[in-house]
Order: sequence, then structure tokens, then C-alpha cells
Amino acid sequence: MKLFVEGLPIAGIGFLIVFFVLAIIWGVLELMKFIAQVGTKKNNKADVTENTVMPVNNTDDDVDEEELVAVLTAAIAASLNTSTYNLKIKSFRRIGNASPAWNDMSRKENTETIF
Amino acid sequence: MVTMFTEFMSKTGFAMLLENPDWWKTLIMLVVACVLLYLAIVKKFEPLLLAPIAFGMLLANMPQATESAIMHPEWFTQTHIDFGNVLSHGGLLDLLYLGVKLGIYPPLIFLGIGAMTDFGPLIANPKSILLGAAAQLGVFFTFLSALLLSDLGIVNFDFLQAASIAIIGGADGPTAIYVTKTLAPLLLPAIAVAAYSYMALVPLIQPPIMKALTTKKERGIVMEQLREVSKTEKILFPIIVTIVVAIIIPDAAPLVGMLMLGNLFKESGVLDRLSKTAQNELINIITIFLGVTVGATATANTFLQTETLMIVVLGLIAFSVSTAGGVLFGKLMCVITKGKVNPLIGSAGVSAVPMAARVSQNVGQKENPSNFLLMHAMGPNVAGVIGSAVAAGVFLSMFK
Repeated sequence: MKLFVEGLPIAGIGFLIVFFVLAIIWGVLELMKFIAQVGTKKNNKADVTENTVMPVNNTDDDVDEEELVAVLTAAIAASLNTSTYNLKIKSFRRIGNASPAWNDMSRKENTETIF
Repeated sequence: MVTMFTEFMSKTGFAMLLENPDWWKTLIMLVVACVLLYLAIVKKFEPLLLAPIAFGMLLANMPQATESAIMHPEWFTQTHIDFGNVLSHGGLLDLLYLGVKLGIYPPLIFLGIGAMTDFGPLIANPKSILLGAAAQLGVFFTFLSALLLSDLGIVNFDFLQAASIAIIGGADGPTAIYVTKTLAPLLLPAIAVAAYSYMALVPLIQPPIMKALTTKKERGIVMEQLREVSKTEKILFPIIVTIVVAIIIPDAAPLVGMLMLGNLFKESGVLDRLSKTAQNELINIITIFLGVTVGATATANTFLQTETLMIVVLGLIAFSVSTAGGVLFGKLMCVITKGKVNPLIGSAGVSAVPMAARVSQNVGQKENPSNFLLMHAMGPNVAGVIGSAVAAGVFLSMFK
């Protein structure tokens, strides 16, 4: 049992070092998250002011939005296995696709598996 | 005419094979290579790496004269490698193998992985990084298991070999190769084959462990939607991680540094050309070189040993315990957060990106079809890449 006994502190310290290093990164990420949240709150205040002076959307955009809401409602209903009558979309926001190719592939495969 | 024919026949592989007293070992290696090719091409088990590895194995085990051999694995197992001899007399694969021996290929693979990885889910949910640490449990558990087996006289692994075998638990091929080429070069082929085979078997190995360690209710937990991560955070992340890791564990800097450089290419928004090269052409070229040369080190003398069988068994233990470590830590986080964390995302803490995250998604969705855990599992999954590189750095700093 000589090697095992000698290896015990090595394994213990090694595992703790891995935790320690990742815990430090966790702390830094939490700090970044906090700073980002403070920044978002400030931006939101600015957005409210901007929204009040924004012009009203034209009719074509409203029609497009209605179609989009209908499509989103149907998609969510299908995914949740429920009726569209039980759902009400209050708001939606378009976000850029910054995910890598394999994430897109994975999502596509998952979707294909479900439907 | 007859003399010429006899001379020609004496130079063919048939004659060399029959002259070799261990000819049957060579035949076994050729069969193993063909089986691996079958698994890669027909069964699609990590084909991108398993196919080059198997073909390298096939090439290196073909009967050939020593002076004109395509690969001389014995040159690289000595304490002092005669690089002059390798450069002047080496075969094609000898020259390409220098990239493995000098530790060039694994960090370059990490550069490509970094350029393909989105750390957004990890930045959005920072605590999930701890799951990547917990999933390294298998690495250290297997390190002790290998030493215990040596104490019992079943095998004869020293600390360096035990560390190299244990890193299979990190489920990261390049990391396993990077550690093994430094600490236990003789075990490189067996460890590389075991590591990539288990990575391919993630969808089979992990689900039973995940189900055994969680309740139906836990598996059905729906997690809160992740917050949006700003561009600034994504750019700062690779820089901060590199500084933290390189300061604490300099030996992990080549792997983590290149991973983060690749990610910086992707996130900076001004290095698109470099990012595309890193995640396509460069990683593909290096994958070919790495796979073929690692496979070519698997000759009958180095591969057909009792140790290889033990490495396969210990690799499975490492992988399973790592999965269990992640899930159990996920359960702990579930309790602490009062049910806000689905423990299934813990199993993604073994790196195996993105397959482990997809396994979490699939197992979770079987309990609750409207549950989408994929992006939540990507956090621990990419944390696992950093975690396994850090674990490798720990072993290298202790034993190099």
C-alpha cells in the first residue's frame, strides 16, 4: 500500500487546486456579471427615454409582427404540447446568432429528433 | 531471372512477416486496426480521430525493413531522443510525430476548439464552472486506483503512468496526449485509443449513471433562462482565464492559453479570418497529423501488453467516476439553490464538448419533453475543458 498512501495527499491536493483555480475564475465571472447588471440598468433607463420619442411603426411592420407572433405562438405551443389558446406572447426580441456551428447543429438535431 | 525474383520476394512484406518470430502479434495489430476503422467508419465512433489513429496503426504495423520504416516508435521512448537521427533517417510519420513529442499538436487543437466554443452559457451562469471542477473527481480517483493496483501487484504503474492513465477521466483527447507524451510515452497509444473510444461512447456510458444518481423529480427540473451576455464580457473572459490559470499553474498555460487565444479570435469580432482558419483548416490538418502519428506508435510491442487492458478498464472507471462526481455536485447545487439547478447538467462537466451537454439535454428531455437543458449544460461542459487542462497542469507540475 506504499504507492497508494503516498498518492493520497497528491490526489487530494491536486483536486483542491483544480477547485481553487476554477473557484477564482467563478469569483471573477460573478464580478463581471455584477458589473454587467449595473451597466444594463443604466442602459435600460436610457432606453425608456428613447422609446418615448420613437415614431409609431408603419402598418406593414405591424402585419409582419402579427405573423411572427403567430409563428412563435404555434412553435411554443408545439414544444410545450399545449394549445395556442393557453399562451399569450407579451413581447419578443430578436437576438443575433453568435453560437458556433456545432451548437446550431446540435439544436437542429434535437429538433429533428423531437418532430 | 530466378535470383532477381527470389531477391524481390525476400524484400516483400510476406517474407519479413514470416521471418519475424512474433508474426502473430503483427497480425493481431492489423486486425485491431481494421476493427477500429470499422468502428470509426461504420459505427461513427469519433470518426474524425479514430479513423486516422486506426490507419496510422495499420501503416506502422505493416512488415517493413527497419531502415525504411515509416515510423520508429522505439526512437521516441528513450530518455534522450536523438533528434538529429530522426531528422536525417526518420520516415514520414517519425517527422510528423515530432509535433506530438514536442507538445505542439495538442495546444494547436485547443486553439481550434477555443475558436469553436461559445463560453456565453458559462459566463451567464458562473457557478456552473464548479461542476467542471467536480467532474475531475474521476481523474484523481483513477490516479489512486492505478496506484492501488500496483500495490496489489496486479500491474506495475508508477506515479507518472498512473497520472497519464487518470487524465482519461477528463474526457479530453488532446489533454490526455499532452500529459502522456511527457510523463509516460510508452503508454501513449493505449491511452489515446482508450480516451477517444470513451469519448465516442459518452451517450452509452453516462445515462445509466445519471439516472442511478438522480430522482425523477430532479431530472425534471426546469432551469431559469440564462441572461444575455455582453460582447465585452465575452472578450474579457479569455484574457482573465489565461491570466488566472497561467499565474497559478504555468504548466497548464500552453493548453489553456491556446484555448483562450482561439476564443479571443472568435469573440473579438476583428479576427474573423484567423478564427475561421483555427476552427477549420488548422484544426483539421493537426487532427490528421495527430491521429495518424499517435496511431503509428501502437506497434505490437507497445500495445499488446497486460497494461493496455488495465488502461482500458481504468479509463472506464475514470470516465464513470467523473460523470458521477459532476452529477453529485449538481445535486448539491440543487439542494443549495432550493431546486433551481437540474443535477443532470453536472455530467456535462467532463469535457467531451458538445456530446456530454447533448446527453444531459436528451436525458432531461425524456423526463420532461418541454425541458431544454442544452445551453445550461454547455456551461459545465466548457468548464470541463478548462478543468481537465488545469488537472493536466497539476500533474505536469508535480511529476515533470
